Amino acid sequence: MDAAALAGMGGRASQAYGLWCVDVPAASWKFSVEDARDSYGLSYLDWLCGVDEEAGGFSILAHVLNPDTMAHLLLRTRVTREDPRLTSIAAVHHGAAWHERETAEMYGVTFDGHPSPGPLLLPDCFEGHPLRKDFVLVSRVVKAWPGAKGPGENDATVVPRRRTLRPAGVPQPGEWGPEDGGG
Amino acid sequence: MAESSQRRHGADLARGLAVALGALAARIDPSRYPNTLPALPPRSRGVIALFEENCTVCMECARECPDWCIYIDSHRETVPATVAGGRQRHRNVLDRFAIDFSLCMYCGICIEVCPFDALFWSPEFEYGEYDVADLTHEKDRLRAWMWTVPAPAAHEPLV
Repeated sequence: MDAAALAGMGGRASQAYGLWCVDVPAASWKFSVEDARDSYGLSYLDWLCGVDEEAGGFSILAHVLNPDTMAHLLLRTRVTREDPRLTSIAAVHHGAAWHERETAEMYGVTFDGHPSPGPLLLPDCFEGHPLRKDFVLVSRVVKAWPGAKGPGENDATVVPRRRTLRPAGVPQPGEWGPEDGGG
Repeated sequence: MAESSQRRHGADLARGLAVALGALAARIDPSRYPNTLPALPPRSRGVIALFEENCTVCMECARECPDWCIYIDSHRETVPATVAGGRQRHRNVLDRFAIDFSLCMYCGICIEVCPFDALFWSPEFEYGEYDVADLTHEKDRLRAWMWTVPAPAAHEPLV
């Protein structure tokens, strides 16, 4: 499978770590997956998931492979953060239905034309989309970070530092929770 | 309705008992795990051992741990000058080093990140507990695991 053929699918092909990735416009997402299956024999959907690109919206990726030649590639598209919406490919690969439900609940992306939308893993009453990067993990707020202490310090002597030591995903004090001033 | 459900319960119970009795009567394979310890490769990730003597309380492992399961307490000691007119020095002394294995996901980042080779993998795995709090191993217990750490692989021969 060569780059020219991939680009023929209406996208832009790039290679990283030996894996071809084809970026396609969101409008032709379903067509591209269908074309990959029918014209290139990439008939096995390995997985589908999302990536939170923050201001850039959300990437939706699908890894497809040809079970005969084991040729494989990533299909990638981008949806906006304001209106994360994509056509469902569950009609092309039936196995995509669960992956899309998971992506929908984890990133808040709507898949149009999905046969059975609804949460897959999260309880019905769950609020928010846990794999979005702005989602705050409660367990990171209710427990003190053990790494806040410096060398030679213990619970009695720990002093607040000029440079606030905070690991990734932990909100500033007062930014989230009961102390955020009801924002 | 109630009667049929009772009958069904009875049938389930009988079937369960049959499975249990069958297992009791079955011949035990002496080469399987509880009877024979498995031959684990030396790089197995069983438990994390602390070589306390090497620890300088730099806090790197506690900060890198994605599960926040390493707890370290230390204090600063002043070492008086050894020669007349010399300078006194400061030294960090480890008071507490604990790994909560109920949270640990065995990623090994603490071992990778340790700049002074104070943390090691040990293939030991039989440390289940009845109380989850007992899975927090304090530094004495972590130090004791050091005795189970396999020797490092031999160097390749000089050419």
